[in-house]
Amino acid sequence: MVTRGYPVAAMGRYALLVFAAVVMLFPLAWMFRVAFMLPGDSLGLGALAAASWTVQNFRDLFTQAGLGRALFNSVLVGTVVTLGNIAFCFMAAYGLARYRLITHKLLFGAVLIVLMIPAHIVIIPLYLICLKAGIYDSYWALILPWLVNPIGIFLVKQYIDSMPVAMEEAARVDGAGELRIIFGVVMPLCKPALAVLAIQVFFTNWNSFLFPFILTSRESLRTLPVALAMYQGHQAIDWPHLMAGSSVAVLPILIVFLFTQRHIVSGITAGAIKQ
Amino acid sequence: MRARYAGLVLSSPWTVTFALFWAFPVLYSLAMSFTDYGLLSGASNWIGLPNYQELFADPDFLGALKNTFVFVLGTIPVTTVLALAMALLVNRQFRGRAFFRSAFFLPSITSMVVIALVFTNLLSRGGYIALLAEMAGFSPPEHGFLYSDSTALYAIMAMDVWMSVGYYMLIFLAGLKSIPDELYEAAEIAGAGPVRTFFSVTLPLLRPVALFVIVINSIKSFQVFVEIFVMTKGKFDTSTGVYFIYEQGLTTAFRLGYASAAAYVLFVIIGLFSIPQFLLMRRRSTAW
Repeated sequence: MVTRGYPVAAMGRYALLVFAAVVMLFPLAWMFRVAFMLPGDSLGLGALAAASWTVQNFRDLFTQAGLGRALFNSVLVGTVVTLGNIAFCFMAAYGLARYRLITHKLLFGAVLIVLMIPAHIVIIPLYLICLKAGIYDSYWALILPWLVNPIGIFLVKQYIDSMPVAMEEAARVDGAGELRIIFGVVMPLCKPALAVLAIQVFFTNWNSFLFPFILTSRESLRTLPVALAMYQGHQAIDWPHLMAGSSVAVLPILIVFLFTQRHIVSGITAGAIKQ
Repeated sequence: MRARYAGLVLSSPWTVTFALFWAFPVLYSLAMSFTDYGLLSGASNWIGLPNYQELFADPDFLGALKNTFVFVLGTIPVTTVLALAMALLVNRQFRGRAFFRSAFFLPSITSMVVIALVFTNLLSRGGYIALLAEMAGFSPPEHGFLYSDSTALYAIMAMDVWMSVGYYMLIFLAGLKSIPDELYEAAEIAGAGPVRTFFSVTLPLLRPVALFVIVINSIKSFQVFVEIFVMTKGKFDTSTGVYFIYEQGLTTAFRLGYASAAAYVLFVIIGLFSIPQFLLMRRRSTAW
């Protein structure tokens, strides 16, 4: 489509765009700015220009507030969960796509039903199950339930469905074993779908609060969002430190987003719209 | 035959994990909702319906339900309309389009906890939003927007719109892309102006997408929790369905059976709300 050349309309459009962009970006910009202020600085209207710039808050977080530990937990849990999803969703998707399983229809039906069931249903039972299985308040509780996800299996299965079987047959003729074909031939070809899955899973896990919060109680097991929410909880709010911690939680997401924008967008729209 | 086993073996890690941590808990909590299971009392007797009866006489639960409905019915139309407007605004080719798209989308990939913390600051007494409101001639509540029964929930709702609008903008953009250019050309040849084109071409063809946006957004909004927990802890008339479940089940009383019943009531409400929309969607599009 060609933009028509009405200058007034174009200017109006840009004015709207700029206004919207300011509204959308201001809170995040504000977070980064406050992160560099000294705890005593005023947060009032004129404060932005007058206030100090310091990296002390970041230093404090890692030395005093246990944020280093939370960052470590978030990275560890996020990495393991992402790798687990790649492996398990790929394997299951391949099984569904290439073998006519007896359980095929059953499994797919179950996945669909649970997809439609809101997550809040499992808050209580998951808590109880983790408690009874003895994994409450351990890394297992942060990792095990999240090793698979229903969207992932759809994403990868659709991708495999669209791939010709010829490649696998050729490999089979060449004498490659099943494992070799699945992990050596098919999996590398699924990289685009697996990348989308990995980004989605990592982002979701990195930002998630509710389940890491209810399934652990020890301070040493807190992930970043939990640590931030708790930090705010038990003292008079110290905004510069809190915003510094928030910045640490947001920065990796921002960086990954800048480099993988296309994958993120395709991940979101893949679930929404099929042409 | 070997192949069949291979398939089963391959899908078993996924299936077992899924069954243990997601499918089983869904049924387990339904069973629990008919018991008086309490973690502290240790009792677990099948009692039937009393949990459900108690819920509908519990003013805290009814208040939480009311707030949930206010939240859903208040945010969905605003989010949907704004997301569509934004999508239309950045759909055409123009200089800086990628920047504006990213700017609008950015809030929806950041952590809810972080966003809630930032807005707690902006909404507090003397915070930016309070100052802006003052400049616009409104007087904010004495202790800030989050410390007042009359504004706290609405402030959180506004934040929710701000946070999620970019995500739905993306979905609308994908929908806009799927509308064939020929239709716009035909509309132009027929002499339709931009407004007419929007209502006769764009909007009808976007119906399935809009429906999808409304359904997923409402399912998500019915479960609002993190922002409530971080910003108000359910005080100032902001408790919602999931917050009630958390409070009953996982704080002082640990009434797991009662909380499970609340979860199922909320589930049924979400179902009543979204199943008709799902059916409508199924007829009109191929989503899923």
